[in-house]
Amino acid sequence: MSINRRQFMKGALTAGMAGTATMLGSSNAFAAVHDPVGEAQADLFRKFKGNVILLPSKYGGYVQAMDPSVPETLAWYPYGLYGIDMPIPHHIAAMPSADPYKGFDFYQTMQPPAAPYVNENSPEWRNRGDFKMFKMRYDGSGKQNSITVVNDISATTGMALGVHVSIGVGENANKYVAFADGQKDMVLITTIDDNPKIVKAFRADYDPIARQLNVSQVFPDATTGKFDYIGRKGMKTSHEAMLGEELMPADPTAVFVDAFTWHPTLPFGAILIRRLGCCAIVDTRTWEVVALLSTAKGAPDNFPLVKQSGFTWTFAVPSVLTPLHEAGFITSGEYFLACNNVLQNNIAVYRSTNEDPTKWKKENFVEGFGTKFLPLHMGNVPDSRFAYFTMWARKPNNGYICKVDTKTWKVTAKWDTGPDPHTCDCTVDGKYMTTVYSGHQAGQSGIVFINIESDKIEARLPCPGGMHDHVVVPESWEGLKYSRSTSV
Amino acid sequence: MQIRAATHRMSGRIKSTYAVMSLAGGLAFLPAGSVLADSVDGTFPTAEQVGGEVYVEPVAVGKKLPLDFDTYDLNGNKVDLAKLVSGKRSMVVFFISAVPVSVAELPKIEDFVRADGKGINVVYVNADTVGSALQGGPKAAIPNTVKTMHVIKKEKNLRTTQLYVAPNDALSGEGVSNRLGFRGLPTSFVISATGVVEKVFVGPQNWKSGDI
Repeated sequence: MSINRRQFMKGALTAGMAGTATMLGSSNAFAAVHDPVGEAQADLFRKFKGNVILLPSKYGGYVQAMDPSVPETLAWYPYGLYGIDMPIPHHIAAMPSADPYKGFDFYQTMQPPAAPYVNENSPEWRNRGDFKMFKMRYDGSGKQNSITVVNDISATTGMALGVHVSIGVGENANKYVAFADGQKDMVLITTIDDNPKIVKAFRADYDPIARQLNVSQVFPDATTGKFDYIGRKGMKTSHEAMLGEELMPADPTAVFVDAFTWHPTLPFGAILIRRLGCCAIVDTRTWEVVALLSTAKGAPDNFPLVKQSGFTWTFAVPSVLTPLHEAGFITSGEYFLACNNVLQNNIAVYRSTNEDPTKWKKENFVEGFGTKFLPLHMGNVPDSRFAYFTMWARKPNNGYICKVDTKTWKVTAKWDTGPDPHTCDCTVDGKYMTTVYSGHQAGQSGIVFINIESDKIEARLPCPGGMHDHVVVPESWEGLKYSRSTSV
Repeated sequence: MQIRAATHRMSGRIKSTYAVMSLAGGLAFLPAGSVLADSVDGTFPTAEQVGGEVYVEPVAVGKKLPLDFDTYDLNGNKVDLAKLVSGKRSMVVFFISAVPVSVAELPKIEDFVRADGKGINVVYVNADTVGSALQGGPKAAIPNTVKTMHVIKKEKNLRTTQLYVAPNDALSGEGVSNRLGFRGLPTSFVISATGVVEKVFVGPQNWKSGDI
């Protein structure tokens, strides 16, 4: 029997129509409901229910809100929609929400692409991207979820900073959010409302001849009420220093301010100053600089105040034995931990309970990391039994995550989660430590869930696009104490 | 409690692919001679290897300024910097394109020297290479930096042609910045005709008569 093309097509069409009719007769197609929690894979992830995780894609230019209990991206926002050419969403912090599936607010910083990870600061790239801070909103209350920009805080305040953002807790809860930047060496604190007000701003400058650090309050223009540090204005260096670049030649005044971390119980915050291996402690009642901790092993506990002139505090910094990267408080506030790195790779442990920060003393060091692995980021747990650290490494090494017992200050477990590990953040129930890795901006990348009790990695999900940071949306102001506030 | 060292598990095929990617990525990621040139095993230096601490002292007055590091001219050709200053009282000005204040100092120095330089020979040395990851990897480092130097020359209206590139590795004791002891740029060394340091200027200056 032979069949020609016309007959074949006719037959196929008839069969297709019959099939379609059969499908139309089925009630399932018309009753389709998006219900991924009822799908088979959700059984594997249900234990993560209650957590919504924000993942900014540094080189994808977007941020996504992910529900790991499904798992599903709930919503995402590409910052190109805001009109930014080559956005680099950098660091992130989320406000507490009793029901993050319904909605929450978060803060996102952004920096230009002339960064060493992109490794491109030739003239063609110098005008791409921008420094930005955004207040953002996730809305999951309707049928389809969304993320929108609430406020361009850089435009509102006139100061654009691109590195860490942290939200006040304890005595500063429900009041303030802080932004920092190491290309401009500035910190800005604003209120947390939708139209934020400037609270205070600081600038740090080193005098390498006098070997002194000046930390100054800076003020907005009296007529406009805004600063004049939009875009690249105020930039000391064209890219954020990557780990090790604390040793590179730079603007003589450059100190690479990285973050502001908040004490969970006392009215203090710490300005982290990478290149000097120092943390300036600020009294958040008066916004005065009350101490300069010098965190290196072999250095004094703090450097002395030489003078205060107006709104400038001058400290003697006679020597810098090592840079540091992040530093922050454990959830209880009992200790302040500083990630010394590059020339010394250790974690300084200060007791931070005294109401006079000049009396905070280094009581211990977490050591044994060698010369390839650098303490970088810090993650807290609710009961402060442990602190987690990212040990970053250059190629060809992966780096790893380690768990430190806060009674013995010894490493009790470590995991090679993948190349180029970045931030650690605890789930709201305190059961899992989440951590992202980004494959040195090209290779493997994902998010890992480590069981805090069993030390087992219980899940790994892909997250493409160079996830340099992430945050689990906290459920309360108390929960924020082990989120992006006390540490970064 | 025993320390557990979990290893990121990969199949053999993935492992070998990753090894190739990692090598290729490593080469593409950081150009040869960049500020942070990749090391073979990713080791960071100890303080002792780079001068004892973060802020090292510049080569002191009265000492000979080492100039035996790799240097390239505006055509991307290798030159001998020591020869270029030999027999002439000179000012060697180090800057990098990533630091705006150091680039801004170049025309200031040129104007000052033209007015009050008493014939001093000035050479400007970019102690860095610009990124090349998106433009061909390490082999593009010098051409890209030379291109940047031409842009700087044009935009800053520099009349000099004595603009050079000296790749630096800040994590090596042999890196230019560690050998010469500069962290803040611009740093300018005034040297005698025999190469001995007479004066060191760190940071931008309010140049005035008699400074050099």
